[in-house]
Amino acid sequence: MSGFSGHLSLRAELRPDGRTAVGAQAFRAPYHVSKPYWDAETRTLLVQVVNPTAGILSGDRLESSVEVGAGAALLLTTPSASRVFKMREGEALSTQRFNVEAGGWLEVMPEPLVPHRGSVFHQRTSLIVAEGGSAFYADLLMPGRVAHGEAWEWNRLVLELDVRHGGERLLHERFDQNGEGLRALAALAGAGEGACFGNAVVLGAGMDAAGAPSWRDALHSLHTDGVWIGASQLRLGGGWSIKFVAPDGIRLKQKLGAIRRILAGLCPHLTCDARKL
Amino acid sequence: MNSDPAINTDARWLVGLLQAGDSYYPTGAYAHSFGLEGLVQAGMVKDRATLREFIFLSVLPALRQAELPLASHAYVAFEPTAPNWVGVGELCVLSHALKSAKEARTATENIGRQRAELAAALHGHPLAAEYLERAAAGGWPFSSAISAALEGRVLGAPREAVLAGVMYASIGGLLAASMKIMRIGQNASQSLLTEALGQAPSVIAAAASVPVAEIGWFNPWLDIAAARHETADGRMFIS
Repeated sequence: MSGFSGHLSLRAELRPDGRTAVGAQAFRAPYHVSKPYWDAETRTLLVQVVNPTAGILSGDRLESSVEVGAGAALLLTTPSASRVFKMREGEALSTQRFNVEAGGWLEVMPEPLVPHRGSVFHQRTSLIVAEGGSAFYADLLMPGRVAHGEAWEWNRLVLELDVRHGGERLLHERFDQNGEGLRALAALAGAGEGACFGNAVVLGAGMDAAGAPSWRDALHSLHTDGVWIGASQLRLGGGWSIKFVAPDGIRLKQKLGAIRRILAGLCPHLTCDARKL
Repeated sequence: MNSDPAINTDARWLVGLLQAGDSYYPTGAYAHSFGLEGLVQAGMVKDRATLREFIFLSVLPALRQAELPLASHAYVAFEPTAPNWVGVGELCVLSHALKSAKEARTATENIGRQRAELAAALHGHPLAAEYLERAAAGGWPFSSAISAALEGRVLGAPREAVLAGVMYASIGGLLAASMKIMRIGQNASQSLLTEALGQAPSVIAAAASVPVAEIGWFNPWLDIAAARHETADGRMFIS
């Protein structure tokens, strides 16, 4: 068993001309960073993180650290799904840290994670947003290579998400399941073999409303056509959790797009186009 | 099975845990379905068979990986001769951070507060009084699992017995709610309770070995249903 020990370090900063630019970056395979694109309309810098290898293999150790400086705005995405390949032994581990300073905006919207048969993958995510900063983070999970008739056949998947805002711990989620366990839950929910998951959090100004905001009603109205979606306020009123399940990957991404459009009234940077087909 | 007669100290904590686990004990748990009402409204749980599936696929794993490990670590932190108050405070915050759905936090907050206040009021134990003072000063959220650990320390109960009490209260409360939400009778409910509690030895043993860094488990459908239950047109339970 041998694997990559890759790292990515990226910092987005506000320049004197009001644009966001990459102030510092360093990366090593399997990470590669595309040329950044400045979206003048939404005043957001778009950066695509590319994994030029086939995917994640046993023994891979991936570490990423992304910082957004005060007043800067960054949309971080990936061009394609992250595949986690079959492992005869061992596991792959990804540790990702996102830090947003006051007045900064970060959106993390990678393509889905696709764990293959027999894979073992552990992803630790830390999202730390300073008081006055804002963020939208979305993780998408496919059940496997559905087109090949392979679903829920990974050995173990651990997805940890720790969210802090203004120094307070708002959320600490740990999803730890084998494929069989999630297949059984999906069957109980009547979700079918192709069920896909979305887990998002949104933090920032306007999130601390005591009453039920109208945008939550709009989000809940997406609960149709086999799609489940629910939004609930995080502790201390510092943000919201949005979870959604769709019968297939196409509808999952459609719902993510709809969620971004609904939240754009609160977070205008969400109108930034990720420039993908 | 141990056939030794219970000694007086065993009887003291045993009756204390029985009291704390009784539906007559005013924790307010009767007002919560712990997400079940939302799942019934969503059509995921609709009869005995699907309720059994929910218990074995979701309730028991959540107990094993989240609530029982929280109680276990809190029990250690509440060591009466040298309480680890920093650790207790961190576990209190973690107990709420683990729950993305507001109603789930409301349930554990209300029940945990009531349990902690009862432990202080009924037993006059300095550990419970100091916990309440520190929780108020530090703004710690309350947790039913952590307050159960406090009860156990106040009563002098062993950790495994405390975890058994948490497990019984969790499953028993859920099944008590199920009889009001669904077409399920007392005997069917009791048979499910018996079957689920039969898992207690393995679930408690596994929970006691979960490190703090690995506490947590969630069921996406349960969280979604709980989030939607907040705005349901009609509901019988707070959660």
